[in-house]
Amino acid sequence: MSTEATRLRRLLMSNALSVFGLVTTAVFVILAVLEVISFGKITPFNPYTPNFGQANLGPSLAHFFGTDFEGRDIFSQVIAALPTDMGISIAVVVTSALMGIVLGTLAGYFRGLFDEVIMRLTDMFLAFPQIIMSLAIAATLGPSLLNVTISLIVVWWPPYVRLVRGAVLAVAAEDYVSVSKALNSSFLYIVRKDALPNVLPSVLVYATTDIGSALLTLSTLGYLNVGIPAAMPELGRMVSGVTYQLYLYPTQVLIPAVVVMLMVAGFSFLGEGLRESLDVKLRPHILMRGRGIGKAEGGQGKVPSPMTSPAGTRLLLGSGRGGFRRGAVVEEAGDQATGTEVDGGGDLRAPVEGRLAD
Amino acid sequence: MVGSLFVLLGVALIVFFISHLLNPNPALLWAGPRARPETVKAVAAAYHLNDPLLNQLYYYFQSLLTGNFGVDPQNGRPILSEILFYAPNTLELVLASMVIIIALGIALGYLSGMRFGTKVDAAIRVFYLTTWSTPYYLGALVSVLLFASYVPIFPSSGNGTVGFTYNSITGIFVLDALLQANWAALESGIYHLILPATTLALLSFGIVPRIMRSSILDTRWSTHVKAARARGLEEGNVRRKHILRNALIDTTTVIATTFGWLFSGTIIVEQIFAWPGIGQFSYMAIVSDNYPVLVACIFVFTVGVIVANFIADIIYPLLDPRITLGEGG
Repeated sequence: MSTEATRLRRLLMSNALSVFGLVTTAVFVILAVLEVISFGKITPFNPYTPNFGQANLGPSLAHFFGTDFEGRDIFSQVIAALPTDMGISIAVVVTSALMGIVLGTLAGYFRGLFDEVIMRLTDMFLAFPQIIMSLAIAATLGPSLLNVTISLIVVWWPPYVRLVRGAVLAVAAEDYVSVSKALNSSFLYIVRKDALPNVLPSVLVYATTDIGSALLTLSTLGYLNVGIPAAMPELGRMVSGVTYQLYLYPTQVLIPAVVVMLMVAGFSFLGEGLRESLDVKLRPHILMRGRGIGKAEGGQGKVPSPMTSPAGTRLLLGSGRGGFRRGAVVEEAGDQATGTEVDGGGDLRAPVEGRLAD
Repeated sequence: MVGSLFVLLGVALIVFFISHLLNPNPALLWAGPRARPETVKAVAAAYHLNDPLLNQLYYYFQSLLTGNFGVDPQNGRPILSEILFYAPNTLELVLASMVIIIALGIALGYLSGMRFGTKVDAAIRVFYLTTWSTPYYLGALVSVLLFASYVPIFPSSGNGTVGFTYNSITGIFVLDALLQANWAALESGIYHLILPATTLALLSFGIVPRIMRSSILDTRWSTHVKAARARGLEEGNVRRKHILRNALIDTTTVIATTFGWLFSGTIIVEQIFAWPGIGQFSYMAIVSDNYPVLVACIFVFTVGVIVANFIADIIYPLLDPRITLGEGG
């Protein structure tokens, strides 16, 4: 394992939030994968067979989450719904991120008319009310998993284009790219060696949190009974199916919703932890805290300089040449490494970048 | 400003083409699934549906510009008057949430950033990340259960207009009551507003303290703050004018973004709190394939988002003298 990966792991682990995020995310992903590869055999009960003698039971050792109005085990239903929720959210985010990387790189690198068209289009799609738009599309296309995924992707890609374009613009202004161009490097070579290694970390961070957002929107579609086929177990729909029982049996209604919350929290805590760990400006302050050298206040206390290496985040995902800029002086704690700030990437819902720069 | 109009125009175009792409036969939708073929044909003729696409586009823009959103196929009422009834109710909810979001978001973000690495910081982060991770339906159901059922201190549904006769001036109930000095109506309005507005605000506000916090962290160790301290400025002054004001710039942007998210949130929150707003209206339109209404709703929401961004553009120059109006958007 490279030293950078070790360092990143240490930074992540120093933060209770990201540890929680990592563990939660891992547990849900593993459960979803197990559910798929075992063809649904890991659930303790059959999630679909009614058993009216056992209806409306509270949580117990036999039924961890209790049973619903037809006596079906809620824990088993939740497990059965994980692949749907997890799978669609990840598919939406991955597709959107790929679209963003392709369109954003092209727009940021070539500028001109193409850039103008893409960015105007992005602005328009960003102004749409997301949930209403995907509700409308999903409702019209009819219930199917593919249609739900499409309806989400339609409103999901624009932030990625903005994020990637902004990062590519910043990289393209660097001297080493001009030098590379002067040396007759091809477009693809520059993208592969200079642009992507600088762009991917921020996309990765943003996407991690974003899987949570996708999950929220997806389960909202489910809650509103739009787009997800009737036979498909889905957490949001489980909630709306029993909402009328809210006052009588609150656990039935709330447990699937809390599972959604935990999954989303897992992704967003992990994304938040990743972002902070990758933020070179904060590193000295985080590490000082861990070692008890001084307080996080001000900038006293000596921090080993490799920790603040500006090349840090770039080394994480392949070593771009941009990572080895000569003359990058690493100052003592309290100051950012000279000029090579890596934007930790998006915020919770949409990148703010570009607004003032545009 | 020109940019905003451009976006609006583009959105109108996209809505037009998407609704065309999605509906092979809008006349059939209009007339209903069991309509006779003559009826469907008559509808198609009346609404220019047999005309070339470009002509339809012309009629579409002509109607939009004259504020004519057409007639609601389900009850025959003009859609504009329905929108004018529902939109102010949503605006009331959204503006009340906005006040809570701005106050709480900036305060928590500032506190969290200034206490970086402490228990206070950790607690605030867990709080806003958790509320942000909570689905709207969970948050709304829990607050109904807790504050309208277990500890019944707030009403669980409606916006409090029942039982009051009042002249609609702005359409916003609380504001109307205030303008006409109808204190009982005002009390009822505020009483009904508190729970849904707080729920909507808490579930949407996570991004504000998060950006506020990271802007504070970006600023508080920067050289200009050091320089201010080195010049001997008193600490309160440094914090107010050098740290807080700087951090508010990015935060203004996300507050504008949050506005759009509030609109999305109203779909669920209005549903659960039986709030007669445009979120519920548009959801009903979606599930009943009511495209004329849906198009109008999408348009109204988009205008809301654009106006929010425009207001943010006006606020930037006040916060940051380097930005002048006109460059922002």
